[in-house]
Amino acid sequence: MSTRSDQNNYKYACGTEASTLNKTGEWRFMAAPERVKRLSPCRQDCLLDSDIPEWLEKVKEERWDEAWQDISRYNPFPALTGYVCFSPCTENCNRGRLDQEIDIQSVEKAIGEWRLENYQPSSKPREVKDKVAVIGSGPAGLSCAYYLSANGYRVTVFESAPLIGGMLALGIPEYRLPRTVLKKELKVLEEEGINFVTGQALGKDFDLGDLDQEFSSIFMATGAWLSRKEKIPGHDAKGVLYALDFLSMINTGQQPEIKDTVVVIGGGNAAVDSARSALRMNGVNSVSLIYRRSRAEMPADPGEVEAAESEGVELIFNALPREIETEGDSIEAVLLDYSKTNREGLVVDQSRSFKKACGTVVMALGQEADYSVFNKLDREIELFAGGDLISGPATVAEAIRAGRIAAFSIMARLENTAEPELSLASEQQVSFEELNLDARINLQLQHRLAEPVGEAGRCLGCGTCNSCGICYLFCPDMAVDWINNRYELNLDYCKGCGICVKECPARVLFMEGG
Amino acid sequence: MRIEEYNRETEILYSGHNACPGCGGALTVRYLSRALGPNLAMAITASCWSIIVGVPPLTALKCPVIHCPFPSAGSVGGGLKRGLNARGHHDTTVVVLAGDGGTFDIGLQALSGAAQRNEDYIFICYDNEAYMNTGMQTSSATPFGARTTTAPYPLFRQGQKKDIMQIMAAHSIPYAATATVAFPEDMEKKLQKAKEIKGFRFMHVLSPCPPGWGIESSDTINLSRLAVYSNSFPLYEITGGVKWEMTFLPEKKKTPLKEYLSLQRRFRQVDDKIIDSLQDEVDHDWDKLMKRVQNPQD
Repeated sequence: MSTRSDQNNYKYACGTEASTLNKTGEWRFMAAPERVKRLSPCRQDCLLDSDIPEWLEKVKEERWDEAWQDISRYNPFPALTGYVCFSPCTENCNRGRLDQEIDIQSVEKAIGEWRLENYQPSSKPREVKDKVAVIGSGPAGLSCAYYLSANGYRVTVFESAPLIGGMLALGIPEYRLPRTVLKKELKVLEEEGINFVTGQALGKDFDLGDLDQEFSSIFMATGAWLSRKEKIPGHDAKGVLYALDFLSMINTGQQPEIKDTVVVIGGGNAAVDSARSALRMNGVNSVSLIYRRSRAEMPADPGEVEAAESEGVELIFNALPREIETEGDSIEAVLLDYSKTNREGLVVDQSRSFKKACGTVVMALGQEADYSVFNKLDREIELFAGGDLISGPATVAEAIRAGRIAAFSIMARLENTAEPELSLASEQQVSFEELNLDARINLQLQHRLAEPVGEAGRCLGCGTCNSCGICYLFCPDMAVDWINNRYELNLDYCKGCGICVKECPARVLFMEGG
Repeated sequence: MRIEEYNRETEILYSGHNACPGCGGALTVRYLSRALGPNLAMAITASCWSIIVGVPPLTALKCPVIHCPFPSAGSVGGGLKRGLNARGHHDTTVVVLAGDGGTFDIGLQALSGAAQRNEDYIFICYDNEAYMNTGMQTSSATPFGARTTTAPYPLFRQGQKKDIMQIMAAHSIPYAATATVAFPEDMEKKLQKAKEIKGFRFMHVLSPCPPGWGIESSDTINLSRLAVYSNSFPLYEITGGVKWEMTFLPEKKKTPLKEYLSLQRRFRQVDDKIIDSLQDEVDHDWDKLMKRVQNPQD
């Protein structure tokens, strides 16, 4: 308790004791403000359930370590997703209604890069728990290995290819994911104590039965690597390649045999990746992408399609290949029919057909998982599986999520604890209309505008307290305290006027109780 | 402004003061004491703040306070500053805090005298547009159309609100400004500017009063903001009595006056005809101000 006479070296005839003795919280006759956490549109749309406003706020404050702690709860590889994720999180960003959506991915990438630069192996002696095998070193396998290893399990990752990373190393082209980032990420995982075994294929070099005896649990994430084949005339010609083989050849430094005009058939991300990679190869003059439906129906990311178009890939829609015409060994052209979708499905009009001359055809008609390994099992074993193996071809982000869920399920199984809650509560997300932006805009709280800190500072924090300080500023009773880097309500003095609830820009304060 | 730079230690106002929930006057003093710093002495005339500051031995302010009679605020402030000077406290900022009654009506002659003598202190008028402390009687700051206890339903206040800023500008004082609680950044900037100036400085602060205006206590900031957005309380400053400058232009934000009035129960008896005439008056005053200021809105 400080008295007034402490503060001043002169006195006048008025009170000497601070009025903080007067606990005005007793005046409150209706409800008290309470802080709640609500679902933001970005988190709702995030493939990883990442709590985006939380780490954006930490970056705004330049508390990078805490930002990494927050992001790694849902995504251990922000540097990777910072490059390859299609960022659905920005689609419904409330800031977009005001000016421009927040570039969440650039902040994510910055956190990832901070982590890779500032990583230091833990000096603490590690708790030694059970051994777990992870089959497949793609994003799902790596994510599962990370979470298990972080919780003290001894993890061994088996990879059939000579390179670690699965689709990250073999499928995704270099221009979308620089291999230096992947290498740094893998180095961190190795220093974390994860054991990698490369060139060992399941079914060839070892069996599930062997693993079951050696390890306490198995996570299988072998992905979907079988190319779907369409048996049209000429599909077995020499110049026909399949997208995944084509991409992994490029990524391992081999030169696929390719002519100067390339046609890519398919509408998924693998097709677009193949087309853009082909365009980057020596001796290729023109690349065409042929899809049987319209542009709007393409499963590929629209941003990637736009990028391909601007680079000079010719896009041909509503065209279904009927035949690959060959002369001798080499491909001459692809015969295409007009096709489109209506209520019955795909309708083909063979009267409206045309030829597309080309030297090489890359088929990207989708991938499938290989389940044949299960046929060889002679007894029942328990294993966990996830990623593309279960979901079919999907994104890196979804695979990372599958790996995380698998890791926590494995831990729950081995430690005999309850399965963790993995889905987000289905509460109403914070809408743009709810946000009270008047106070925030007038105060120009978007301080510090350098990237990416400034980009994070633009976050409106829908449903998450981002310490904007409006409640502190507008409280007539100073019943809001700044404690441990966050604002806390002090109900001892709160008279319950509700200004903070009304003015909170992020809509996290509510009047509760009586 | 980084709000995090402030904390409980830098506040001059303590929690536990006696203001009503959602008091605009309490916020006014909170911002002004923070902006003017700890080396502060205050004279408070009869007003809500006589009560809010607390009964001895308790005080809500870390700075010393003199309570003074209603008509004398202007002179007491001058005396306080001269007394401090005589004792060698030349760098202490003196603030006189008066309500709209102590400024517009009862305190006007002392205020005018002090302004004419160019006494060296800051006069803050926190305007809640009636004698709220004694039970919401009409003052000459009460706007046309408002219901008060001396103009009860179905009567309402007749006559226009006194334009105190023109009166103060006519005294050619070094600095005069308007401010309101929804724009603390603007208000603190003006106070810091005022602190650096020597001579008589005047500030007219609109402080919404939940019980007196008949508004929800949570609406204080909202109403204060709407007063600015509807142009009925423009934010500007006058330097030397001649240089008029807008400090905030609502631009595209301009809201109809009706929106501002409809949230206040004291205006519930006014019909659309009166609202239209009030809107005309606000527009007229705004045009008059725009002719005067050096940076008018296009």
